[in-house]
Amino acid sequence: MFKTTGFISFILRRFTGVVLALYLLLHIWVIGAATQGAEAFNRRMEAVSTPVFHILEILLLAAVIYHAFDGIRLLIINNFRVTDKRKSMWYAAFAIAALLTVVGGLPILFYVLGINF
Amino acid sequence: MATNGQKRTATVRIQRFNPDVDKKPYIKEYQIQMRQGMTLLDALHEIKTQQDGSVTYRRSCRHAICGSCAMSVNGRNMLVCEQPLKEHVDSQGRVTIKPLPFLPIIKDLVVDRSSFWEQYQRVKPWLMPPDDLPDKEFRVSPEEIKAMHDAEKCIMCGACYSACQVVAMNKQYIGPHALLKAFLRTLDPRDATPAERLDIVSDPNGVWRCHTIFNCIDACPKNLDPTFAIETLRNLAARRLAFEEERRERQKTLDQPVKGA
Repeated sequence: MFKTTGFISFILRRFTGVVLALYLLLHIWVIGAATQGAEAFNRRMEAVSTPVFHILEILLLAAVIYHAFDGIRLLIINNFRVTDKRKSMWYAAFAIAALLTVVGGLPILFYVLGINF
Repeated sequence: MATNGQKRTATVRIQRFNPDVDKKPYIKEYQIQMRQGMTLLDALHEIKTQQDGSVTYRRSCRHAICGSCAMSVNGRNMLVCEQPLKEHVDSQGRVTIKPLPFLPIIKDLVVDRSSFWEQYQRVKPWLMPPDDLPDKEFRVSPEEIKAMHDAEKCIMCGACYSACQVVAMNKQYIGPHALLKAFLRTLDPRDATPAERLDIVSDPNGVWRCHTIFNCIDACPKNLDPTFAIETLRNLAARRLAFEEERRERQKTLDQPVKGA
């Protein structure tokens, strides 16, 4: 029962949820610097504009999109009788999330690598 | 006994645990000859009668209706009496049988199901009819029966309960088996207390604790749908008093003939 799509989706959902909560703390830390003036905000913004953070941004994008589409899938299951389509629905949610991550992640990756297109 | 084609040997790997002797469970292997039509329960029975009498497991009817022999076979919960051995052996002829996961082991393949029954009691699984019983028989329409989605076919085997990851983490959770029964009783037109039932399942450890993992559906040997039952209870719990009002209206005509009956 650890090999079912339901369990994999559950683990991914919880994991991405924790990732999003941790990101929120980081986000508030950066945005909160605005209360100390433009100079402080720019300094803090610079600290999180390194290539490592850009790569982490791609992973964050993946977490956001997966969490969102898995949530939409759960809302559909909550309101319509589609439990017999549970496996294909998860594959669909995962495929859409993967596709959007690639579409949104490539420009960030190109930016990090200094490729213009 | 005649066999079709080549005789094959199966290696049945059974998780053994004797609380008087062993500190923790271990796997013991047994070799048996596979026969045509042999079920996993037949294999266990052959091992117990011919090789090792100390192998302990629950079984009763052998026809998938008593719900005694639910076990974890190759990591999936199922009734061993209805599953053919040859469908579960791998390419090397091995099959692994363990007790239902996440429940305390009493001995070998027998688990302590106390929490299963305690949670079942919580939802008041019996019918609570109205005080003013009609003189004639109850008339329930085919649509109302269909809305229950065969929930009455549950045999209380515990496969869904022990497959549930929420139960694994939290034994206070009511569990898919009891919520399915609560769904059956709530939707039953003869029941007079749907609001009380919905109140019980709205507990923090009730329907809202389900994480929609679907392991209960995957495990159910009767192909029932506890997840749908939980989703229905969630939606009804949001309007439980209005639902009870509808039920009272319905019960005024409970002894009248229904359309389509």
